[in-house]
Amino acid sequence: MIKIESLSKSFNEKKVINNLSLEVQKNEVIALLGPNGSGKTTLLNMIAGLLRPDSGNIYINNIMVNGTNGTKKVNLNPFERQIGYVFQTISLFPHMKIQDNISYGLKSLHLSKFEVKKRTSALLDFVGLREHALSYPSQLSGGQQQRAALARSLATEPQVILLDEPVSATDPQLKETFRLELKKYLQTLEITTLYVTHNLSEAFMMADKIAVIGNGHIEQVGNRAEIFDKTQSTYVAKFLGINIFEGKAVKEQNGLLLIEINGIPLMSALTPEFVGKNVTITLKPEDITLLTKEPVNTNSDNSIIGVITEIVQMHSTAQVTVDAGFPVKARIAFTTIKNLGITVGDKVYMSFSPLSLNVFSDTEKRK
Amino acid sequence: MAHPSINNSQDIKTKKHTNETSKISRFIDKTTIALLIIIVIIYVAFLTLPVISVFLKLDLTQISSQLQNPGIIKAIELSLYTSLIATLLSVILAVPTGYFLATRKFYGKTVIDTLMDLPLVLPPAVAGIALLYTFAPGGLLGPVFNSFDIIIPGYTAAVIIAQIFVASPFLIRSAKIGFEKQDQTIYNSAKILTGSRLRVFFTISLPLAMRAIISGTIMTWARAMGEFGATLMFAGNLPGITQTIPLAIYTMLYSDPLAGVMLSIILISISFAVIIIVKLLEQKRYGYKK
Repeated sequence: MIKIESLSKSFNEKKVINNLSLEVQKNEVIALLGPNGSGKTTLLNMIAGLLRPDSGNIYINNIMVNGTNGTKKVNLNPFERQIGYVFQTISLFPHMKIQDNISYGLKSLHLSKFEVKKRTSALLDFVGLREHALSYPSQLSGGQQQRAALARSLATEPQVILLDEPVSATDPQLKETFRLELKKYLQTLEITTLYVTHNLSEAFMMADKIAVIGNGHIEQVGNRAEIFDKTQSTYVAKFLGINIFEGKAVKEQNGLLLIEINGIPLMSALTPEFVGKNVTITLKPEDITLLTKEPVNTNSDNSIIGVITEIVQMHSTAQVTVDAGFPVKARIAFTTIKNLGITVGDKVYMSFSPLSLNVFSDTEKRK
Repeated sequence: MAHPSINNSQDIKTKKHTNETSKISRFIDKTTIALLIIIVIIYVAFLTLPVISVFLKLDLTQISSQLQNPGIIKAIELSLYTSLIATLLSVILAVPTGYFLATRKFYGKTVIDTLMDLPLVLPPAVAGIALLYTFAPGGLLGPVFNSFDIIIPGYTAAVIIAQIFVASPFLIRSAKIGFEKQDQTIYNSAKILTGSRLRVFFTISLPLAMRAIISGTIMTWARAMGEFGATLMFAGNLPGITQTIPLAIYTMLYSDPLAGVMLSIILISISFAVIIIVKLLEQKRYGYKK
């Protein structure tokens, strides 16, 4: 278990981590997701004891490793924290064979030679590097080296492991394979894990929960549905590429909430306490259907008219930007664009369910 | 297409023009390259001819008799003895200092860094005077040595001190670079896996800096072997006591030129060996596939 309470750290008077709190339960895998420069590595280094926080407490398995206990300042050294750490760059000892890299930590545990050998051997098997036991790191591929680094970090049987962009050191064409391998390892291990990444799909693949880091603190923690459908911060919405609008909750109507964005009335699920207030609304691009004719059967779906300003083709989908007085992004299958025969400059109707509108009050923003 | 003839003639004009310019620029290019080659030849000759000329003076039939010349033997023995002790003491002093300077941040570090490099550029004669004013009986530390009845100038110890003074900064420098260029995450990985700083130093930091330390040690030794000016001024030129190979060469220049050639060739061979070893060390990588 990792528990972080109001942690702060500045570099040259710039607050990189600002009053950050986060909890990772026992055997839970949490992905720490955020863009480059958001303080992910700084946070990991503080948990590992490689960097000293300016203020705040860190607990690992209920033991305070950083913080103030009464009048006593606590700052355990990295070894005492019983953690494993896989770094973003390859950090194997270049002058040692793979098996010596893996057994390095074991040798500080005062185990018998036999026990060291046995555990090293088991770890070599676990990460599938038995035939490379006598190789030097430089003879291995990026993915193999990171697997060795994982084995090395697991050797001391840590309570917690920290993974900092472990996939980034591998060759581009092997990234996906390595992700799948890592996923398998993490599932087998059942160990408290903090997995740092800037890659959204990697975060969802590896972790039970995602903590989005931004502005020096955790903007939102939750599972996939919570992060995407119940976005609670403008920052998260922007990072995930979700549409975000400012609007006003007008009144309750037919058991739904009538909101206005830029004067356009829209219906959303009812949250009575928002009535009369300024609100922030998010809408996932994939929840929008594009139509060339005004929808006839308008049960209770929202419909906005606009003009296409841009079509960007991604893999099998396309992102269509529509100007409805304010820009709205929709993601649809590329074949749909062909079938509809739409192109830039065309008039389209955007249709979406009231339930796909996520309304919240971004307190951060209104401070 | 309306006026093809005009367009054509214009084309030809420009072509002629560019032909002309490219001819000139090609001529300039060629001349520049020729000039460059001449400079390189002159310079390489300038640097290698003196060494070759020493070898040309070597009389192979004389080698065995020269090797029995007591003056030569004494100088070789003394040079090996003093330079090896100076190198050993340099390792003991300079490697920890290099480590300290590479891994610690402290106030005034730049000043210390600069001072450590000073002996590298200090003229040897100045180094000799400076050492005299420090270690001679009337020098700064004179009273200390006087109280123990120790006199340094004129004795073998002075040779060793002079060699350490001028040569050990080579080792500080390369040891410092060896420790500095180490990847911080490798060091951090070790800190997580063991609680012993000493173990991290001896199993990670030191082995990773070893190549730089060895090449620095060899350069220090070579510099110590070749030390002349400071030794002459500070230690004197006493055969068997302070007369090292370079001093013997200087002394024998007129009295026994062949002996001087013999000693010079020994020093040249050492220099060659040093350059080759240092180059090999720079190339070596861990885990090269055979």
